[in-house]
Amino acid sequence: MLPFTSSSGSKAVPRHHVSGYSNGYPRGNTFEISPHRFQPRGTTPALRRRKRLLVRLGIAVATVTLFGLFVWPRSSIFSLFSFSLLSTGDDFQLETVRYYDLSNVQGTARGWEREERILLCVPLRDAEPHLPMFFSHLRNFTYPHHLIDLAFLVSDSKDRTLEVLTNNLEAIQADEDDTKPYGEISIIEKDFGQKVNQDVESRHGFEAQASRRKLMAQARNWLLSAALRPSHSWVYWRDVDVETAPFTILEDLMRHNKDVIVPNVWRPLPDWLGGEQPYDLNSWQESETALALADTLDEDAVIVEGYAEYATWRPHLAYLRDPYGDPDMEMEIDGVGGVSILAKAKVFRHGVHFPAFSFEKHAETEGFGKMARRMQFSVVGLPHYTIWHMYEPSVDDIKHMEAMEQERLAREQEERDKAEKAKKLKESFGDATSQWEKDKSEMHNIVSQDKKTGSGDVAPKEKANAEPAQPAPGKAAADQAAVEKPIANKPSAENPAAKKLAEKEKVEASAKFVQKETKKEDRKI
Amino acid sequence: MARPMGPLRLKKTSPLTVVVGVALCIFILYFLIGSSAPDFSPSRKAAAASHPLSPPTSPFRKSSASGGKKPKPPPVTHYNLNNVTITPNPIENRENVLILTPMARFYQGYWDNLLKLSYPHELITLGFILPKNKEGNAATTELQKQITKTQKYSLEKDRFKSIIILRQDFEPPLSSQDEGERHKMQNQKARRSAMAKARNSLLFTTLGPATSWVLWLDGDIIETPPTLIQDLAMHDKPLITPNCFQRFYNPQKKAMDERPYDFNNWVDSPQAKELASKMGPDDILLEGYADMATYRLLMAKVFDEKSDRHEEIPLDGVGGTALLVKADVHRDGAMFPPFPFYHLIETEGFAKMARRLGWQATGLPNYKVYHYNE
Repeated sequence: MLPFTSSSGSKAVPRHHVSGYSNGYPRGNTFEISPHRFQPRGTTPALRRRKRLLVRLGIAVATVTLFGLFVWPRSSIFSLFSFSLLSTGDDFQLETVRYYDLSNVQGTARGWEREERILLCVPLRDAEPHLPMFFSHLRNFTYPHHLIDLAFLVSDSKDRTLEVLTNNLEAIQADEDDTKPYGEISIIEKDFGQKVNQDVESRHGFEAQASRRKLMAQARNWLLSAALRPSHSWVYWRDVDVETAPFTILEDLMRHNKDVIVPNVWRPLPDWLGGEQPYDLNSWQESETALALADTLDEDAVIVEGYAEYATWRPHLAYLRDPYGDPDMEMEIDGVGGVSILAKAKVFRHGVHFPAFSFEKHAETEGFGKMARRMQFSVVGLPHYTIWHMYEPSVDDIKHMEAMEQERLAREQEERDKAEKAKKLKESFGDATSQWEKDKSEMHNIVSQDKKTGSGDVAPKEKANAEPAQPAPGKAAADQAAVEKPIANKPSAENPAAKKLAEKEKVEASAKFVQKETKKEDRKI
Repeated sequence: MARPMGPLRLKKTSPLTVVVGVALCIFILYFLIGSSAPDFSPSRKAAAASHPLSPPTSPFRKSSASGGKKPKPPPVTHYNLNNVTITPNPIENRENVLILTPMARFYQGYWDNLLKLSYPHELITLGFILPKNKEGNAATTELQKQITKTQKYSLEKDRFKSIIILRQDFEPPLSSQDEGERHKMQNQKARRSAMAKARNSLLFTTLGPATSWVLWLDGDIIETPPTLIQDLAMHDKPLITPNCFQRFYNPQKKAMDERPYDFNNWVDSPQAKELASKMGPDDILLEGYADMATYRLLMAKVFDEKSDRHEEIPLDGVGGTALLVKADVHRDGAMFPPFPFYHLIETEGFAKMARRLGWQATGLPNYKVYHYNE
């Protein structure tokens, strides 16, 4: 704005203009009421313009934000303001990143002191009747419960396994006692379309074994892959139908500090079958015979232990048990049984699993042992540390038990009849007897010196009295027949018939026992 | 003091100051009441696990610091694996994808490519395993920096469902990750055995009960089509792998060019079978070495520019550079053998093991992904 071009009409007039007052104010509008309007010293027109621009920008940003709220109501801008300010009642944050150092979860001999986490895996199928027993074990584990994560796989179950399981677990987690609740609990449902029945007979038939074992392996792998976490140091596999096991079993096995370790598994039997029996025949040491046999089989064949079809001559962990042996004694093995396996989690992390195909002619737990050995992990069994599997009678056993029961009932009936007969005889001839006694004494008096006649007639009566007392020893003999000890001497001397019966029982039972030894078919393989 | 305060105060209450003041107030309030990071939407929050002891494939609620109360024991959680679908339309069926990466070095290109994937990020879980050495530490730091940036400060749609970082529990057999050293034949067995263990460790600890697909993506894959996951899943194959190429400067042509990179995708040959039959039980067959001519058909060589991008060929061996696997295959037990399995190891052995379990691998020779060029 140059002063010379401006006319008198202009408001901004240079100070020293002729038309201005001497104090420098313009003369233009004389009737201006307030010529001394305050002008802030700091604000130049440029500054004012900048300010206006900023305000406009602010308004624009606000409008865009508001518009954005309408268009993307769930965008992060929205949550940025509204969530933290308005919904403070809903006060949790999401953590999306997890960091784990696997060298901290290697597994050591004294895991409970180092707070090492164990994953307890239990595969289940139609297991409702066994669950109460299993939970009694679960409640009593001495390993700190909060360090144990539980994982169950419920597959192809038609009974109430799932409901019973859930109820029991929820009860444990809600327990007042702080030491009772467990860590993470996962119940995994998956149906594989089981082709094989679960009853004892079909479960242990030879033909069904290979495909059954592969299905079992598949189930185990699904369970493990869904439940294993980077925080686990150990994995413990446990069957639900273990009847007796020490509560300290986790610590007992862990103390050995082996990569894979199993105890010996036996089962109790009814007395007439011998009282006890090795159960898990899948824990064994490899033999030359078996290796040679493996070479002759085709790629998909699976060697299963305990069947006459495959004579492997392997040393089994189960048969090496000495009830008085050192429970800490270790034995290197190649195949393992799945009833109770403690393994370091790193074994599974590095890829060992339960082959659902024929791996070196083995599947499932035996294949697991083989694969662990292949990857240079230590696989160990404890021959003298025994846990007890439940006894489920096989179909043969049930038949035999029924026969025994009938025999027992028949015998009891017979004895009852006999006793009744004797009683009747006694009753009907009661008067006669007393009369006879009287007569006898009289006769004694009369024929004073003749003794031989009396002894001959008394015998039948004594026998009749003895009869009711007989069933007890006879039954005991039958029950004890199969025990290695010879039959008790008590009953036989008096009664040849009872002795004969007991002997027949014994022969039958021991024949049964021999059959079991050779076939071993009712065992879990 | 002679001057009255009036005008001075008037000057301070300019609109700019008000705006700045209000903005500051909100900022301060936000940091006082809110968290340091923008939060997730309610739908994502509802899907999160309620306890830190949960499958790592899902985020969990951070325990709000509610005054010294003892944490409640974890709940009994049901997972029905019968409902985990694996279909050719993974987005429609909201199927979870687990992207697994064994990582030795961090490449920014890898991360940028990952962010570009168009598969919904709230269905993607990332899993990384890094060795515990100097190089691994550096890569971890880089990776964590990028993760924080993405998971905390970017838009929610860019943020992944959950991220797992693992550190290996064994020493890598080789100190050098240089390409020349790494590919020496005598070093291969030990190297690939360690690699297999790393892959298995990563896989079996992160798979969890909700994953439908597993995408193996090497840390040096820096360029893939953004629709990679959908494109591969579309084929509905148990194992499927694209062709891995590498861009390089061709001095003859004086221009950028590309060459095949991954030679572990192959179809078996009678010669290779014969070679294997003469080997000891602990020997392995390797691809791409002159003194072991296998005459296998390599997918890398099958590439034909004019053919259909979705053309399929059946494979007997796969490489792990980019490989989409149905989670069921891994759940059945198919893993990366760290020992010679039918004279094969790692990813090639994996294809064989999957085959033994009844799953066949497929290759897409004309669908390309690109490897970093060192």
